[in-house]
Amino acid sequence: MTDNISNRRSWMIVPAHDADASARCADSKPDVVVLDLEYTVPPRAKVAAREGLAAAIRKLADGQIAVFVRIDRETRWADARAAITRGIKGIIFAGPDSPEEVAELGDLITAMERERGVEPGETELVLMMESAKGFWNLAAIAQASPRVTALGVGRIDLTMRLGPVPQDEFRLYRFLMTRALVVARMLRKQPLGALWRPDSRGGVAARDSTAKAAREARLMGFTGCVCATPEQVAPVNEGFAQV
Amino acid sequence: MIKQDETRDLTLAGDSPMPKYIRRSVLALSIDDTQLGDKAYASYADAIILDFAKKANVDWQAESKARMPMAIHAASRGAAEVFVRVGCDGVVAELESVVFSGIAGVVVKGVTTAADVTAVASVLDSLEVSRGIPRGTLEIDIEVDTAGAVWHALDIARASERFGAFYINEPALCKNLGMQTTATLAFDPLEYIKSQLITVAISVGGQALGMSYPLSLTHDKVDDDTVKKAVRIARDTGFKGALCAHASWIKHCNAGFCPSPEEAAYYVKVIDVFAEGLKRGMASVPIDGKMIDVPVDLRAKLYLKWANRVQARNEAKAVAHR
Repeated sequence: MTDNISNRRSWMIVPAHDADASARCADSKPDVVVLDLEYTVPPRAKVAAREGLAAAIRKLADGQIAVFVRIDRETRWADARAAITRGIKGIIFAGPDSPEEVAELGDLITAMERERGVEPGETELVLMMESAKGFWNLAAIAQASPRVTALGVGRIDLTMRLGPVPQDEFRLYRFLMTRALVVARMLRKQPLGALWRPDSRGGVAARDSTAKAAREARLMGFTGCVCATPEQVAPVNEGFAQV
Repeated sequence: MIKQDETRDLTLAGDSPMPKYIRRSVLALSIDDTQLGDKAYASYADAIILDFAKKANVDWQAESKARMPMAIHAASRGAAEVFVRVGCDGVVAELESVVFSGIAGVVVKGVTTAADVTAVASVLDSLEVSRGIPRGTLEIDIEVDTAGAVWHALDIARASERFGAFYINEPALCKNLGMQTTATLAFDPLEYIKSQLITVAISVGGQALGMSYPLSLTHDKVDDDTVKKAVRIARDTGFKGALCAHASWIKHCNAGFCPSPEEAAYYVKVIDVFAEGLKRGMASVPIDGKMIDVPVDLRAKLYLKWANRVQARNEAKAVAHR
């Protein structure tokens, strides 16, 4: 973790329980594969997803792919235990509200690194902010663990918690993006986020609108974002390309 | 009429709509500029910021000490307030080299925390004593050019009673934030940062100076109408003046960052008509189809006071130019 401001542009979400998706994910050439234990995994598949995680991580890592695991806030302890293994680059913690939560997770990762023979301190932490409380405590939260290398602006949870589903641009989003950017740059973390609009969200994203969301975010100072589908990877890489 | 020395009235309360200082236009000039005095005089800027360079292979401290008093004198010929810009790195040596009688204060760039401001204040305490400057009079203005300054803005503004203003250096701040430094977006990427800095500055009785987007990031010379519109937007945002990237902006900033003569005339009418209404026992009176009541009357008085202070400032500059 020598350079905290990385240029990983596309962070592609892959359901951790879906072996086929995991096998195909490299095809779209994302900068990072994010094996997900959060929303894309049905509750009944969570246990199986955790059990298969170590093998999936090793397989992807053997292919020189940067692998992160997104853990579920409610089950983060069990998720993190399952995720820490040789080959993992880091953990994505969605929705931290306080520095204590991040410090506690950092301590758990330290213990698991020791237990699993992972290089101490190598596992990164990426924080996806999803609450008003989290955004207000952002600087303290980001400094709660030296493992934190990136700060991101969440999407669905954020809009759910802070406002109604917007008909057009979620105007509060730009304020929150600004806040995340300022802290990320102040603390030399990678700022993650895109200026999403209704036609550039998740599965309904059009290629052009995804590229626009990424390009505008780059102009605002962001350097990468999460991709909900493989189709978003190319426009995101294009939008965040340095010109 | 308000006396000219009230342009530096330190008793103005925080949250007042009145600007603490009448500092609509600020122009930066180098002490190496051989036409410094003429440019400052001809500019009609309310304030001049002096820049100096730390030249290699030269005793810059000795050179600065030797030249700065004359530069300050030259810059103030047109009745402008004079500031000197210093950097946070090596600030003690810089302050010792540039602080002399005649300056209104210093503009500090590269600030990231409140501790940076208290360090500057401490040095100014000593220099005021050693250089015969009335104690507590030197102002500290902050050039906001780092993410840290944005995040810690409130602590920074509260760090010293000397705090006077935030100057938003948009190109430098954008660079520090990894933003594009050209105006390529359809919206102002610094909109929320500007709102925060304006609110914070006013909350401690200070003010913020800045320009509206996209002129704030436009590096080419633009036409007068564009500048006028940009100044109006900046004033409506809450800025009380701007650091002028071009001398051509100054006349528009001087005219735009204050109530216009038409507005001042209207305020006089509001005050007179409302006073008549009160005499007749009325709580509100109509003017041109609008109802005038206590808050409108109060606003008119405040804005008229602002207009009068601006007029006094203009007259002081006019005297200096005779």
